[in-house]
Amino acid sequence: MKTTFKEEDNYYVMYFEGRLDTAASAQVEEEMKPLYECSGHDIILDCANLEYISSSGLRLFLGLLKTAKPKGSHVYIRAINEDLRQVFAMTGFINLFEFK
Amino acid sequence: MMRLSPHCEMLLQEFRDRRDELLRLDSHVYELLCQHLSQQGIELNSLEHRVKTEKSLAGKLELKGEKYRELSDITDLVGLRIVTFYTDDVDKVAAIVSKLFNVDWSNSVDKRKLHELTSFGYNSLHYICSLHEGSMRFEIQIRTALQHTWSAIEHDIGYKGAVKLPPQYKRQFSRLAGMLELADDEFSRLRTTMTEYRRQIQALVKSGNLSEVTLSTDSFRSYLELRPLDRLNQRIAAVNQAELFPASLMPFLPILEHFGMESLGQVQAMVDDLSDAAYQLALSQLAITDLDILSETVGMQNLCIVYALKHGGTRDDVKYIYDKLYGKNDANALLADGIIRQYEAIGQK
Repeated sequence: MKTTFKEEDNYYVMYFEGRLDTAASAQVEEEMKPLYECSGHDIILDCANLEYISSSGLRLFLGLLKTAKPKGSHVYIRAINEDLRQVFAMTGFINLFEFK
Repeated sequence: MMRLSPHCEMLLQEFRDRRDELLRLDSHVYELLCQHLSQQGIELNSLEHRVKTEKSLAGKLELKGEKYRELSDITDLVGLRIVTFYTDDVDKVAAIVSKLFNVDWSNSVDKRKLHELTSFGYNSLHYICSLHEGSMRFEIQIRTALQHTWSAIEHDIGYKGAVKLPPQYKRQFSRLAGMLELADDEFSRLRTTMTEYRRQIQALVKSGNLSEVTLSTDSFRSYLELRPLDRLNQRIAAVNQAELFPASLMPFLPILEHFGMESLGQVQAMVDDLSDAAYQLALSQLAITDLDILSETVGMQNLCIVYALKHGGTRDDVKYIYDKLYGKNDANALLADGIIRQYEAIGQK
Protein backbone atom coordinates (compact mmCIF):
# COMPACT_ATOMS: atom_id res chain seq x y z
CA MET A 1 0.00 0.00 0.00
CA LYS A 2 1.44 3.36 -1.04
CA THR A 3 0.17 6.88 -0.41
CA THR A 4 1.38 10.20 -1.79
CA PHE A 5 0.45 13.57 -0.34
CA LYS A 6 0.39 16.64 -2.57
CA GLU A 7 -0.96 20.18 -2.48
CA GLU A 8 -2.73 20.97 -5.73
CA ASP A 9 -4.57 24.28 -6.36
CA ASN A 10 -5.25 24.80 -2.67
CA TYR A 11 -6.53 21.20 -2.31
CA TYR A 12 -4.82 18.70 -0.04
CA VAL A 13 -4.69 15.59 -2.20
CA MET A 14 -3.78 12.09 -1.11
CA TYR A 15 -3.21 9.39 -3.72
CA PHE A 16 -3.88 5.82 -2.63
CA GLU A 17 -2.31 2.88 -4.43
CA GLY A 18 -2.90 -0.79 -3.64
CA ARG A 19 -5.02 -2.48 -0.98
CA LEU A 20 -6.17 -0.49 2.05
CA ASP A 21 -6.75 -3.43 4.36
CA THR A 22 -6.43 -3.89 8.12
CA ALA A 23 -2.70 -4.65 7.86
CA ALA A 24 -2.02 -1.41 5.96
CA SER A 25 -4.31 0.84 7.94
CA ALA A 26 -1.95 1.74 10.82
CA GLN A 27 0.70 2.94 8.38
CA VAL A 28 -1.86 4.79 6.22
CA GLU A 29 -3.36 6.45 9.31
CA GLU A 30 0.07 7.88 10.08
CA GLU A 31 0.53 9.03 6.49
CA MET A 32 -2.90 10.73 6.46
CA LYS A 33 -1.96 13.00 9.40
CA PRO A 34 -1.11 16.04 7.23
CA LEU A 35 -4.72 15.95 5.96
CA TYR A 36 -5.99 16.60 9.50
CA GLU A 37 -4.35 20.05 9.44
CA CYS A 38 -6.78 21.06 6.71
CA SER A 39 -8.16 24.45 7.85
CA GLY A 40 -8.77 26.50 4.73
CA HIS A 41 -8.23 23.55 2.38
CA ASP A 42 -10.57 21.03 0.83
CA ILE A 43 -9.36 17.46 0.66
CA ILE A 44 -9.32 15.03 -2.26
CA LEU A 45 -8.81 11.33 -1.67
CA ASP A 46 -7.70 10.04 -5.06
CA CYS A 47 -8.70 6.41 -5.34
CA ALA A 48 -7.87 5.79 -9.02
CA ASN A 49 -5.31 3.13 -8.02
CA LEU A 50 -6.98 1.92 -4.85
CA GLU A 51 -7.88 -1.72 -5.41
CA TYR A 52 -9.58 -2.62 -2.13
CA ILE A 53 -10.83 -0.96 1.03
CA SER A 54 -11.63 -2.78 4.27
CA SER A 55 -13.63 -1.57 7.28
CA SER A 56 -10.39 -0.22 8.76
CA GLY A 57 -9.93 1.88 5.62
CA LEU A 58 -13.50 3.13 5.80
CA ARG A 59 -12.88 4.12 9.42
CA LEU A 60 -9.86 6.16 8.37
CA PHE A 61 -11.91 8.00 5.74
CA LEU A 62 -14.76 8.58 8.22
CA GLY A 63 -12.36 9.78 10.90
CA LEU A 64 -10.94 12.31 8.47
CA LEU A 65 -14.45 13.44 7.51
CA LYS A 66 -15.36 13.95 11.17
CA THR A 67 -12.30 16.14 11.70
CA ALA A 68 -12.51 18.07 8.44
CA LYS A 69 -16.23 18.96 8.46
CA PRO A 70 -16.22 21.17 11.59
CA LYS A 71 -13.26 23.04 10.07
CA GLY A 72 -15.39 23.82 7.01
CA SER A 73 -13.36 21.58 4.72
CA HIS A 74 -14.97 19.29 2.17
CA VAL A 75 -13.72 15.75 1.63
CA TYR A 76 -14.00 14.56 -1.96
CA ILE A 77 -13.40 11.04 -3.18
CA ARG A 78 -12.02 11.02 -6.69
CA ALA A 79 -11.86 8.35 -9.41
CA ILE A 80 -13.22 5.51 -7.32
CA ASN A 81 -13.67 2.18 -9.14
CA GLU A 82 -17.02 0.38 -9.33
CA ASP A 83 -16.17 -2.30 -6.75
CA LEU A 84 -15.24 0.29 -4.16
CA ARG A 85 -18.27 2.39 -5.03
CA GLN A 86 -20.37 -0.67 -4.25
CA VAL A 87 -18.69 -1.00 -0.83
CA PHE A 88 -19.57 2.62 -0.08
CA ALA A 89 -23.13 2.02 -1.29
CA MET A 90 -23.81 -1.19 0.62
CA THR A 91 -22.50 0.24 3.90
CA GLY A 92 -24.59 3.37 3.40
CA PHE A 93 -21.53 5.61 3.58
CA ILE A 94 -21.68 6.83 0.02
CA ASN A 95 -23.92 9.79 0.88
CA LEU A 96 -21.60 11.02 3.61
CA PHE A 97 -18.85 11.83 1.11
CA GLU A 98 -18.74 13.98 -1.97
CA PHE A 99 -17.51 12.39 -5.17
CA LYS A 100 -15.50 13.98 -7.96
CA MET B 1 -7.75 68.32 10.12
CA MET B 2 -9.90 68.57 13.23
CA ARG B 3 -9.22 71.30 15.72
CA LEU B 4 -10.02 70.26 19.26
CA SER B 5 -10.05 72.33 22.42
CA PRO B 6 -7.38 71.52 25.04
CA HIS B 7 -10.09 69.82 27.14
CA CYS B 8 -11.10 67.59 24.25
CA GLU B 9 -7.42 66.88 23.43
CA MET B 10 -7.02 65.74 27.03
CA LEU B 11 -10.02 63.40 26.73
CA LEU B 12 -8.63 62.02 23.47
CA GLN B 13 -5.23 61.37 25.08
CA GLU B 14 -6.90 59.60 28.01
CA PHE B 15 -8.75 57.46 25.45
CA ARG B 16 -5.43 56.50 23.80
CA ASP B 17 -3.96 55.63 27.21
CA ARG B 18 -6.95 53.47 28.18
CA ARG B 19 -7.46 51.76 24.81
CA ASP B 20 -6.12 48.38 25.98
CA GLU B 21 -8.44 48.46 28.98
CA LEU B 22 -11.39 49.20 26.64
CA LEU B 23 -10.42 46.36 24.31
CA ARG B 24 -10.36 43.96 27.24
CA LEU B 25 -13.76 45.19 28.42
CA ASP B 26 -15.15 44.81 24.88
CA SER B 27 -14.06 41.20 24.52
CA HIS B 28 -15.08 40.29 28.07
CA VAL B 29 -18.63 41.63 27.57
CA TYR B 30 -18.84 40.00 24.13
CA GLU B 31 -17.82 36.59 25.47
CA LEU B 32 -20.20 36.82 28.42
CA LEU B 33 -23.08 37.65 26.09
CA CYS B 34 -22.22 34.88 23.62
CA GLN B 35 -22.07 32.34 26.42
CA HIS B 36 -25.34 33.32 28.14
CA LEU B 37 -27.38 33.86 24.96
CA SER B 38 -26.28 30.51 23.62
CA GLN B 39 -27.10 28.82 26.95
CA GLN B 40 -30.63 30.22 26.68
CA GLY B 41 -30.90 28.90 23.11
CA ILE B 42 -31.48 32.31 21.57
CA GLU B 43 -30.47 32.38 17.92
CA LEU B 44 -29.14 35.69 16.74
CA ASN B 45 -28.86 37.34 13.38
CA SER B 46 -25.62 38.95 14.57
CA LEU B 47 -23.73 40.16 17.60
CA GLU B 48 -21.41 43.01 16.70
CA HIS B 49 -18.94 44.61 19.06
CA ARG B 50 -16.36 47.34 18.75
CA VAL B 51 -14.26 49.87 20.56
CA LYS B 52 -14.77 53.34 19.13
CA THR B 53 -12.03 54.41 16.73
CA GLU B 54 -9.91 57.41 17.58
CA LYS B 55 -11.18 59.17 14.47
CA SER B 56 -14.81 58.62 15.39
CA LEU B 57 -14.22 59.82 18.97
CA ALA B 58 -12.40 62.93 17.71
CA GLY B 59 -15.40 63.67 15.47
CA LYS B 60 -17.77 63.32 18.41
CA LEU B 61 -15.60 65.54 20.61
CA GLU B 62 -15.40 68.18 17.87
CA LEU B 63 -19.21 68.31 17.75
CA LYS B 64 -20.09 68.17 21.43
CA GLY B 65 -16.89 67.64 23.39
CA GLU B 66 -17.56 70.33 25.96
CA LYS B 67 -20.54 68.48 27.35
CA TYR B 68 -18.29 65.64 28.55
CA ARG B 69 -16.48 66.42 31.78
CA GLU B 70 -14.58 63.13 31.88
CA LEU B 71 -13.89 60.33 29.43
CA SER B 72 -16.20 58.08 31.45
CA ASP B 73 -19.11 60.42 30.59
CA ILE B 74 -18.92 59.07 27.03
CA THR B 75 -20.93 55.85 27.28
CA ASP B 76 -20.40 54.33 23.84
CA LEU B 77 -16.61 53.94 23.79
CA VAL B 78 -17.38 50.24 23.91
CA GLY B 79 -20.52 49.34 22.00
CA LEU B 80 -22.26 46.08 21.24
CA ARG B 81 -25.22 45.48 18.98
CA ILE B 82 -27.37 42.38 19.36
CA VAL B 83 -29.58 41.72 16.35
CA THR B 84 -32.31 39.13 16.92
CA PHE B 85 -34.54 37.47 14.33
CA TYR B 86 -37.75 37.95 16.28
CA THR B 87 -39.23 40.86 18.16
CA ASP B 88 -40.07 38.58 21.15
CA ASP B 89 -36.39 37.83 21.51
CA VAL B 90 -35.53 41.53 21.98
CA ASP B 91 -37.23 41.39 25.39
CA LYS B 92 -35.62 38.06 26.25
CA VAL B 93 -32.17 39.39 25.39
CA ALA B 94 -32.89 42.59 27.34
CA ALA B 95 -33.76 40.52 30.42
CA ILE B 96 -30.52 38.59 30.10
CA VAL B 97 -28.51 41.82 29.65
CA SER B 98 -30.05 43.40 32.75
CA LYS B 99 -29.30 40.26 34.75
CA LEU B 100 -25.69 40.08 33.59
CA PHE B 101 -24.77 43.74 33.90
CA ASN B 102 -25.48 46.79 35.98
CA VAL B 103 -27.87 48.87 33.83
CA ASP B 104 -27.85 52.65 34.21
CA TRP B 105 -31.61 53.04 33.83
CA SER B 106 -31.54 56.84 33.92
CA ASN B 107 -29.49 56.87 30.69
CA SER B 108 -31.00 53.82 28.98
CA VAL B 109 -33.78 54.19 26.47
CA ASP B 110 -36.52 51.89 25.33
CA LYS B 111 -37.17 53.69 22.08
CA ARG B 112 -40.01 51.34 21.32
CA LYS B 113 -42.05 53.30 23.88
CA LEU B 114 -41.49 56.66 22.22
CA HIS B 115 -44.00 55.84 19.49
CA GLU B 116 -42.47 58.05 16.84
CA LEU B 117 -44.80 57.62 13.91
CA THR B 118 -42.19 57.72 11.20
CA SER B 119 -39.56 55.71 13.01
CA PHE B 120 -39.11 51.99 13.07
CA GLY B 121 -35.41 51.14 13.09
CA TYR B 122 -34.73 53.39 16.01
CA ASN B 123 -37.38 51.53 17.97
CA SER B 124 -34.58 49.58 19.55
CA LEU B 125 -33.38 49.22 23.09
CA HIS B 126 -30.29 51.15 24.11
CA TYR B 127 -28.90 50.07 27.46
CA ILE B 128 -26.02 51.82 29.16
CA CYS B 129 -24.32 49.20 31.26
CA SER B 130 -21.31 48.56 33.43
CA LEU B 131 -19.82 45.43 34.93
CA HIS B 132 -20.40 46.89 38.38
CA GLU B 133 -21.31 50.22 39.93
CA GLY B 134 -18.74 52.88 39.07
CA SER B 135 -16.79 50.86 36.45
CA MET B 136 -16.35 51.90 32.80
CA ARG B 137 -19.70 52.06 31.02
CA PHE B 138 -20.58 50.53 27.66
CA GLU B 139 -23.61 50.61 25.40
CA ILE B 140 -25.68 47.65 24.26
CA GLN B 141 -28.24 48.05 21.48
CA ILE B 142 -30.83 45.35 20.98
CA ARG B 143 -32.99 45.24 17.88
CA THR B 144 -34.53 42.88 15.35
CA ALA B 145 -33.04 42.17 11.95
CA LEU B 146 -35.79 44.21 10.26
CA GLN B 147 -35.17 47.16 12.56
CA HIS B 148 -31.48 46.84 11.78
CA THR B 149 -32.15 46.92 8.04
CA TRP B 150 -34.40 49.93 8.47
CA SER B 151 -31.69 51.77 10.41
CA ALA B 152 -29.10 51.02 7.74
CA ILE B 153 -31.38 52.29 4.93
CA GLU B 154 -32.47 55.29 6.95
CA HIS B 155 -28.84 56.15 7.54
CA ASP B 156 -28.07 55.73 3.83
CA ILE B 157 -30.96 57.97 2.79
CA GLY B 158 -29.92 60.57 5.34
CA TYR B 159 -33.35 60.87 6.92
CA LYS B 160 -31.83 61.87 10.23
CA GLY B 161 -29.79 64.59 8.56
CA ALA B 162 -30.10 68.32 8.88
CA VAL B 163 -32.61 68.81 6.06
CA LYS B 164 -36.19 68.81 7.30
CA LEU B 165 -38.27 66.21 5.52
CA PRO B 166 -41.31 67.46 3.56
CA PRO B 167 -44.67 66.00 4.80
CA GLN B 168 -45.25 63.78 1.75
CA TYR B 169 -41.93 61.97 2.35
CA LYS B 170 -42.65 61.74 6.06
CA ARG B 171 -45.82 59.92 5.12
CA GLN B 172 -43.82 57.49 2.98
CA PHE B 173 -41.58 56.78 5.96
CA SER B 174 -44.64 56.28 8.20
CA ARG B 175 -46.14 53.77 5.80
CA LEU B 176 -42.89 51.81 5.61
CA ALA B 177 -42.43 51.96 9.38
CA GLY B 178 -45.92 50.55 9.89
CA MET B 179 -45.39 47.81 7.35
CA LEU B 180 -42.11 46.68 8.84
CA GLU B 181 -43.47 46.73 12.38
CA LEU B 182 -46.35 44.59 11.21
CA ALA B 183 -43.93 42.21 9.44
CA ASP B 184 -41.84 41.91 12.62
CA ASP B 185 -44.93 41.02 14.64
CA GLU B 186 -46.13 38.57 11.99
CA PHE B 187 -42.78 36.75 11.94
CA SER B 188 -43.02 36.34 15.71
CA ARG B 189 -46.59 35.10 15.41
CA LEU B 190 -45.56 32.66 12.68
CA ARG B 191 -42.83 31.27 14.90
CA THR B 192 -45.30 30.73 17.74
CA THR B 193 -47.75 29.03 15.36
CA MET B 194 -45.03 26.75 13.95
CA THR B 195 -43.84 25.80 17.43
CA GLU B 196 -47.40 24.92 18.38
CA TYR B 197 -47.81 22.87 15.18
CA ARG B 198 -44.59 20.95 15.93
CA ARG B 199 -45.83 20.20 19.45
CA GLN B 200 -49.08 18.82 18.07
CA ILE B 201 -47.21 16.65 15.56
CA GLN B 202 -44.91 15.34 18.27
CA ALA B 203 -47.90 14.50 20.45
CA LEU B 204 -49.60 12.61 17.61
CA VAL B 205 -46.40 10.73 16.77
CA LYS B 206 -45.89 9.80 20.44
CA SER B 207 -49.48 8.63 20.82
CA GLY B 208 -49.01 6.33 17.84
CA ASN B 209 -51.69 7.93 15.64
CA LEU B 210 -49.30 7.91 12.71
CA SER B 211 -51.93 7.62 9.99
CA GLU B 212 -53.31 11.00 11.06
CA VAL B 213 -49.97 12.72 10.63
CA THR B 214 -49.18 14.21 7.24
CA LEU B 215 -45.68 13.43 6.00
CA SER B 216 -43.61 16.62 6.19
CA THR B 217 -40.13 17.70 7.20
CA ASP B 218 -41.27 18.38 10.77
CA SER B 219 -43.36 15.26 11.19
CA PHE B 220 -40.69 13.01 9.66
CA ARG B 221 -38.09 14.49 12.01
CA SER B 222 -40.35 13.81 15.03
CA TYR B 223 -40.99 10.28 13.74
CA LEU B 224 -37.26 9.62 13.44
CA GLU B 225 -36.81 10.65 17.08
CA LEU B 226 -38.71 7.43 17.90
CA ARG B 227 -35.84 5.61 16.13
CA PRO B 228 -38.15 3.35 14.09
CA LEU B 229 -35.27 1.87 12.11
CA ASP B 230 -33.14 0.78 15.06
CA ARG B 231 -34.40 -2.79 15.13
CA LEU B 232 -33.75 -3.34 11.42
CA ASN B 233 -30.35 -1.63 11.59
CA GLN B 234 -29.29 -3.73 14.56
CA ARG B 235 -30.39 -6.90 12.78
CA ILE B 236 -28.34 -5.94 9.72
CA ALA B 237 -25.36 -4.91 11.86
CA ALA B 238 -25.42 -8.29 13.60
CA VAL B 239 -24.53 -9.99 10.29
CA ASN B 240 -20.88 -8.90 10.67
CA GLN B 241 -21.01 -7.74 14.29
CA ALA B 242 -20.76 -4.27 12.79
CA GLU B 243 -20.56 -0.90 14.47
CA LEU B 244 -23.33 1.54 13.43
CA PHE B 245 -22.11 4.98 12.43
CA PRO B 246 -24.65 7.75 13.21
CA ALA B 247 -26.22 9.37 10.14
CA SER B 248 -29.31 11.42 9.39
CA LEU B 249 -32.26 9.74 7.67
CA MET B 250 -33.76 13.07 6.56
CA PRO B 251 -32.36 12.69 2.99
CA PHE B 252 -34.87 9.82 2.56
CA LEU B 253 -37.87 12.15 2.86
CA PRO B 254 -37.96 13.17 -0.83
CA ILE B 255 -37.75 9.48 -1.78
CA LEU B 256 -40.74 8.61 0.42
CA GLU B 257 -42.64 11.54 -1.08
CA HIS B 258 -41.69 10.30 -4.55
CA PHE B 259 -43.24 6.94 -3.62
CA GLY B 260 -46.47 8.88 -3.08
CA MET B 261 -46.50 8.47 0.69
CA GLU B 262 -48.61 11.13 2.36
CA SER B 263 -48.70 10.10 6.00
CA LEU B 264 -46.35 8.69 8.62
CA GLY B 265 -48.72 5.74 8.81
CA GLN B 266 -47.62 4.74 5.30
CA VAL B 267 -43.96 5.03 6.27
CA GLN B 268 -44.54 2.86 9.34
CA ALA B 269 -46.43 0.32 7.20
CA MET B 270 -43.38 0.09 4.93
CA VAL B 271 -41.15 -0.52 7.97
CA ASP B 272 -43.54 -3.14 9.37
CA ASP B 273 -44.19 -4.97 6.09
CA LEU B 274 -40.82 -4.88 4.38
CA SER B 275 -38.19 -4.99 7.13
CA ASP B 276 -37.72 -8.71 6.65
CA ALA B 277 -37.11 -8.41 2.91
CA ALA B 278 -34.81 -5.40 3.50
CA TYR B 279 -32.83 -7.45 6.01
CA GLN B 280 -32.51 -10.32 3.52
CA LEU B 281 -31.30 -7.93 0.83
CA ALA B 282 -28.69 -6.36 3.15
CA LEU B 283 -27.64 -9.82 4.35
CA SER B 284 -27.03 -11.01 0.78
CA GLN B 285 -24.66 -8.09 0.18
CA LEU B 286 -22.84 -7.98 3.50
CA ALA B 287 -22.48 -11.66 4.42
CA ILE B 288 -19.80 -12.18 1.76
CA THR B 289 -17.74 -9.26 3.11
CA ASP B 290 -15.98 -8.55 6.38
CA LEU B 291 -17.34 -5.01 6.58
CA ASP B 292 -17.91 -4.30 10.25
CA ILE B 293 -18.86 -0.65 10.11
CA LEU B 294 -22.18 0.50 8.65
CA SER B 295 -24.03 3.78 8.40
CA GLU B 296 -27.39 4.08 10.19
CA THR B 297 -28.88 4.70 6.76
CA VAL B 298 -28.34 1.07 5.79
CA GLY B 299 -31.77 -0.17 6.92
CA MET B 300 -33.76 2.65 5.32
CA GLN B 301 -31.77 2.39 2.08
CA ASN B 302 -32.56 -1.31 1.70
CA LEU B 303 -36.19 -0.70 2.69
CA CYS B 304 -36.60 1.92 -0.05
CA ILE B 305 -35.05 -0.34 -2.68
CA VAL B 306 -37.32 -3.22 -1.68
CA TYR B 307 -40.35 -0.91 -1.65
CA ALA B 308 -39.57 0.39 -5.16
CA LEU B 309 -39.04 -3.10 -6.59
CA LYS B 310 -42.11 -4.56 -4.85
CA HIS B 311 -44.20 -1.80 -6.42
CA GLY B 312 -43.15 -2.61 -9.97
CA GLY B 313 -40.10 -0.39 -9.91
CA THR B 314 -37.49 -0.66 -12.65
CA ARG B 315 -33.76 0.00 -12.92
CA ASP B 316 -34.60 3.70 -13.37
CA ASP B 317 -36.60 3.78 -10.15
CA VAL B 318 -33.74 2.24 -8.18
CA LYS B 319 -31.28 4.59 -9.89
CA TYR B 320 -33.56 7.45 -8.80
CA ILE B 321 -33.08 6.40 -5.16
CA TYR B 322 -29.29 6.35 -5.56
CA ASP B 323 -29.35 9.65 -7.45
CA LYS B 324 -31.32 11.27 -4.64
CA LEU B 325 -29.04 9.90 -1.94
CA TYR B 326 -25.64 10.08 -3.59
CA GLY B 327 -26.10 12.78 -6.21
CA LYS B 328 -26.89 12.23 -9.87
CA ASN B 329 -24.29 9.98 -11.48
CA ASP B 330 -24.31 7.54 -14.42
CA ALA B 331 -22.47 5.01 -12.25
CA ASN B 332 -25.62 4.75 -10.11
CA ALA B 333 -27.19 2.74 -12.94
CA LEU B 334 -24.54 0.05 -12.41
CA LEU B 335 -25.29 0.06 -8.68
CA ALA B 336 -28.98 -0.32 -9.54
CA ASP B 337 -28.22 -3.31 -11.81
CA GLY B 338 -26.19 -4.92 -9.01
CA ILE B 339 -28.84 -4.51 -6.34
CA ILE B 340 -31.63 -5.77 -8.66
CA ARG B 341 -29.57 -8.92 -9.29
CA GLN B 342 -29.20 -9.40 -5.51
CA TYR B 343 -32.92 -8.83 -5.05
CA GLU B 344 -33.75 -11.48 -7.62
CA ALA B 345 -31.17 -13.84 -6.12
CA ILE B 346 -32.91 -13.82 -2.73
CA GLY B 347 -36.13 -14.89 -4.39
CA GLN B 348 -38.03 -11.62 -3.98
CA LYS B 349 -40.54 -10.47 -6.54
